[in-house]
This record gives sequence, C-alpha cells and structure tokens, in this order.
Amino acid sequence: MKIGIPHSLLYYYYFPFWEELFTSLGQEVVVSEPNNEQIMNKGVKYSISEICVPMKTFVGQVLELAERDDVDRIYVPRLRSIHEEVTLCPKFLGLPDMILNSLDGMEDLLLVNTIEQDSDDISDPKDYQIFKEEFDVSQKELEAALESASQRWQEYRAQHRQGFTSDVLLNEKERSLETSDLTIGLLGYVYNVYDNFVNMDLLGKLRDMNVNVVTFEMIDDEVIEREAAKMDKRMFWEFTNKLLGAGYHFLKSDEIDGIIHVTAFGCGPDSILGPFLDIDSDEYDKPFMTLRIDEQTGESHLVTRVEAFIDLLRLRKKKEKRQQEKVTGESELT
Amino acid sequence: MKLSFPYMESPVVYYKIFDLLGHDVVKPPRPTQKTFNLGVKYAPEFACFPLKVTLGNMIELYEQGVDTIVTSGGYGPCRAGYYGELQQKILDDLGYDIDIVIFEQVKGDWKDFLDNVRLLKKNTNIINLLRSVYIGYKISHSMDRMLKKLHIRRAHAEDKRALTELWDEIQERYLDVSSSGDVDEVEEWASSELDRLGGPIPSDRERLRVGIVGEIYVVMEGSTNNFIERMLNKMDVEVERSHYLSEYIDSHMVPWKKKEYQHILEKGDQYFEHVIGGHAKRSLGHIIDYKQRGFDGVVHLKPFGCLPEVVSQSMLDRVSEDLNIPILPMSIDEQTAKAHMKTRLEAFLDLIKQKKEEIA
Repeated sequence: MKIGIPHSLLYYYYFPFWEELFTSLGQEVVVSEPNNEQIMNKGVKYSISEICVPMKTFVGQVLELAERDDVDRIYVPRLRSIHEEVTLCPKFLGLPDMILNSLDGMEDLLLVNTIEQDSDDISDPKDYQIFKEEFDVSQKELEAALESASQRWQEYRAQHRQGFTSDVLLNEKERSLETSDLTIGLLGYVYNVYDNFVNMDLLGKLRDMNVNVVTFEMIDDEVIEREAAKMDKRMFWEFTNKLLGAGYHFLKSDEIDGIIHVTAFGCGPDSILGPFLDIDSDEYDKPFMTLRIDEQTGESHLVTRVEAFIDLLRLRKKKEKRQQEKVTGESELT
Repeated sequence: MKLSFPYMESPVVYYKIFDLLGHDVVKPPRPTQKTFNLGVKYAPEFACFPLKVTLGNMIELYEQGVDTIVTSGGYGPCRAGYYGELQQKILDDLGYDIDIVIFEQVKGDWKDFLDNVRLLKKNTNIINLLRSVYIGYKISHSMDRMLKKLHIRRAHAEDKRALTELWDEIQERYLDVSSSGDVDEVEEWASSELDRLGGPIPSDRERLRVGIVGEIYVVMEGSTNNFIERMLNKMDVEVERSHYLSEYIDSHMVPWKKKEYQHILEKGDQYFEHVIGGHAKRSLGHIIDYKQRGFDGVVHLKPFGCLPEVVSQSMLDRVSEDLNIPILPMSIDEQTAKAHMKTRLEAFLDLIKQKKEEIA
C-alpha cells in the first residue's frame, strides 16, 4: 500500500519517524510536493478564510495527494498530546475531523490514529493498534517497526542538536556547519520556519546574509524544559512550550545576537506566547522581532524587515566591540 | 482591598456573592467601544476578542480604584485558560498595580484554590460563605429562567422596548435580594410582568425560533455581539442560546449536575471524536439539539480566530447539509458593525422564512 504524507505541518518534525514506521510495516511512503502556488490556492479555496495559513497548506496538500492515482491512503494523525498534561493546539486535535467533515470523499482515504503520549518520541504501541488490522501485522511486528522508527527519529533529533536545521537533514543536502559573525535565534513552529513557499525562503535569505541560525530543535530538551517550567502555569500547547523554553534560553544566551519570531497570521498560541517574550526581551536587552507570514506575504516587505534587523544587529555588535576595546584600553592605561 | 471582576453578561451573581461576603466590591462597567479600544491598544493583535474586552474592562476598573480582580482560569487547550496570566503580564508592564486572582478548576492540588477561597472569604464564617454562594447560585438559575422567558416573550411583544426596560429592572431587583426567599419573590414578580408585557406565543407554524451557539463570551456578552438577541427579538424571532451562566456553573463545577449536559456533548460525536477545547464540540451538539427540537435556524458566533471554533466552523457547511437547517456563521471582533450584522441577519431570516413556507 502507498501511504501519502502531506508535506506540511509536523512533516518537518516527524517525517523520519513516519517514513521508517511505514516502510518497516512493509508499506511504501509517498510525500507530496513542497508547497507551491497551486497547492496553496487549493488550500485557501477549501478552508475557511480565518484559519491559519499552515492549516490551509495542509488542506491543499491533502487534496493534492487525494488526486494522485498512486496514493492509497493519506496519513493524518490526530496529535492530541506529546507531553504529560498538555495538548497541542485545538486545530491539531480536530484536524482529521475537520478534513473529514469539510472535504468530500475523504472517508475511505484518510488513515487516522490518535496520538496521546507523554513524550514527543511518539512510539508507544498503544496508539497504533489500528495499524495491525490495517496492514495485517502482528503486535510484535508493530512494536519492532515502532522501535526502529523511534531510533531513526532519535538520530534525526541528535543531528538537530549538532546544529543542523531540518531542511538540511530532510533534503539530504550537503551537510556542513558554517561559522558566522552573527547568530540569531529563529523562533517558530517547524511548519513556519521550513515552509519556503509561505515564508519566502526566510532561511535561505538569512544564510545569504551570512547569518547563523539556531532553532528550537537544536536546544537540549532539559534546557527547554527548565526554562518553560519557570512559568507559573504551563501553556497548553506543547510546541508553544518548546518555543517558550527556547525563547527564554535565547534571551539569556550570550551566543544569540537577536531573535526573530516567525508566526502565522491568526496563530492563537503565538498571540499568547509573543507578549511574554516581547515584554521580557527589553529586560534582557535582546533585540526581538516578530515576523508575520500568511498566504499573501509580500516578498520585498519581508526582505526589507529582515535586512534592517540584521543590519541593526551587526551595527550593535560593532558598537559593543568598540566599547569593549575602549574599556580594555582604558584599563590597560591605568 | 477593592475588588471586582470582568464583565460578562449580568454582573448580578458575582456581585451578590462578594457583597454578601462583606467585600468592598465594585460593579464592573458594561463594555463599550471605549473598553474595546483600550483592550485593542494593549493586547496582542491576534489575541482573541474576549481577552481584549476583559483587559479593557480591567483597565477601566483600575481607573476606578480597584486593586483586585477575580477571574477564572482553565487548562486549555482553549486560550481562555491563559488570559489571567497574560493580562497580569500586560498590566504589570503598563505599571498598573493590580492583582488578578485566578480561580482554577481544582486538579488534584487544592492549595491554590483554598488560598483563593481564604482570600475571598474575608472575615466571614463558613456558614455565611456557603449561604452567600448558595444565594448566588440560586440567583443564577432564577435569572436565567427569566432571561430565557424574555428571549421568547419579547419576540411577540407589541412594545419590545418595554420588555428590554423591564429586564433592566428585573436585574436591579435581583441585586437587592438578601435571602433565598427574596429570590423566589423577585422571580414570581418578574415572571408575571414578563407575561403581562409579552405577547401571546403564536402557533408553531407561525413562530420562528433561532438558536445561538458558539464561543461562550461572545454568545453571552451582548455588548460584543451588538445585542443579537434583542436584534432578533425585534425581528419577531425567538432566541435560545447554547450558553447561560447557570448552565455553565452546573456543567463545569457541579459534579452531580454534569450528567444533565452530557447528552448535548454526545450529540457532537458525529463530527468530533474528542473534545478539542472550548465548546467546539458542544456547539455542534447544540445545533443537532436545536434541529431535533424544531428550531428554524442557527447562528454561530465566535471571536475572530477562535481556535476551537474555527475548526467547528469549518464543518458548518456539512452540518447544515446533513441536518437540513440553515446556519449563519459570524466572526466577532472590535469592528463588528451593527448595520452589517443586521443586514446579514435579515437576509438569513428571509431564507429561513422561505424554507418554512416551502415545508408548510
């Protein structure tokens, strides 16, 4: 059977897991094309206008896969929870329900299971029981497949921690870590950071400006957990907690020169997260910029803002260096 | 300590409880455009509208000398559970010295809850605490019975304004009660007045009934939705909402009453496998319920960008088709103009009437 995986949302976080899982279960995996204008237009047409752009791209991706003859099923998990006590955004919780009840002809096409686990290594077999009948495999085979999926995903995550971004890892581009005079924390959900079509290749533009980029996936879980735990009350959406933890780490870290928060128009969790980081960035004296993207982001507007921000950071750095030299110069004199 | 709370429909119940406990309590002003503007100015752009309204309301209360605001919490995934924290952060940043006391649903840890109770109970004894809460609870049920009656009777009244004014007077009377017996007395009077001023209810074939479902704040708080109930009543349409304060209290805080509301939620099973936060699933359950009870149409209200309700709104075309009931979705924010709403409602009613005639 050929399983279609939409090139959207958590594809950028879980694809290695899903690929390994389905191939180990003897299935073939097909990934849809990265977002382009056609897919985007489809998504916009079949979604309500108010929903955030990542959800629109997902709808477009599902429709794209549904049209293909070589796809038997489309995998749309209902990701409820990847951490104790908290869930993901409501849109993820209702994603398969929304697809089933707003698009036609999806009943027989969607492959849905509900993921409700305590950690983001989502390999507990309890949530995959329907796969046994679906793919005619035993419990043992299912467990083995999940085990190797988990392993492959852990390797993927370990490479993040070495400093690789997901786009490099998923595209098997030549891997090298470049050094640069400037490092920014790029804060955003994977589907906003890596969707080159929607964000107008933000990562590529930053690399062209010779900027080193750090994302939340590169930060150790313990650091994120420690920083996120400082809130009196845990936020309800686990990826938002990850951004929150990474965000406070960025604010405190000397290695980060500035933070860009890339967020989708109408993102609810980010509307809560943003002010906390924005208000506190003054306290830590760290430049912070919010970059909002949607289906009609103008490219030149985005470029101008990013360039101005990066220029500001470079200028600031130069100034600091000069001041430091002055201080050390003075102390040498006395 | 000067205490208050954000406005959400009638403040009578909360006011009465704090008053009976002996607090120096300020009745919050009903939100106006000025409140919205304050909220919009200081809240994040994409925060949902209720957060902005309540934030604006808090600032207005601060200007009146209030230093403590009591509000509710929650554990998501709807954003409303995080309002208190975020509003405190914003108010701190603005330099306003005001404390937000957040009542959380008890989740194993009673300490915070009891601390809050201790703070609010003041010097009064436990008997008076229970009595105050009981009276508040009783008022909520009594008032909602009258409110439901208003929403039906005003549709057929000759002088609709008289009923709107009567409702203001009814609220004033509830505000003056000091015992459980007083509540009964007010209800008896209110009920007979509503009967006196309200017109007779026409036969089923001639009456139009519309259900209002959606996100709780914009459904309940009239100032945010241009008083949609009044608007519909003026067009001779009866209204029932999916949210009333007393029902919220029963279904969320009174364990032995929860069951009474379970069947509504279960009706939503057809469209949602799980609860996804807020009242998204229940909204769909209510639509099904209204259809089964013979309503003619449903209005779905949500704040712009509301997380759970955008998901349920995505399904409304399908739901409307499945159930054969017209549904009008409307997004609410600080720019929701009255004329715009009225036009859409009028067009919607034309559709409903036509449909009803066809069936008849």
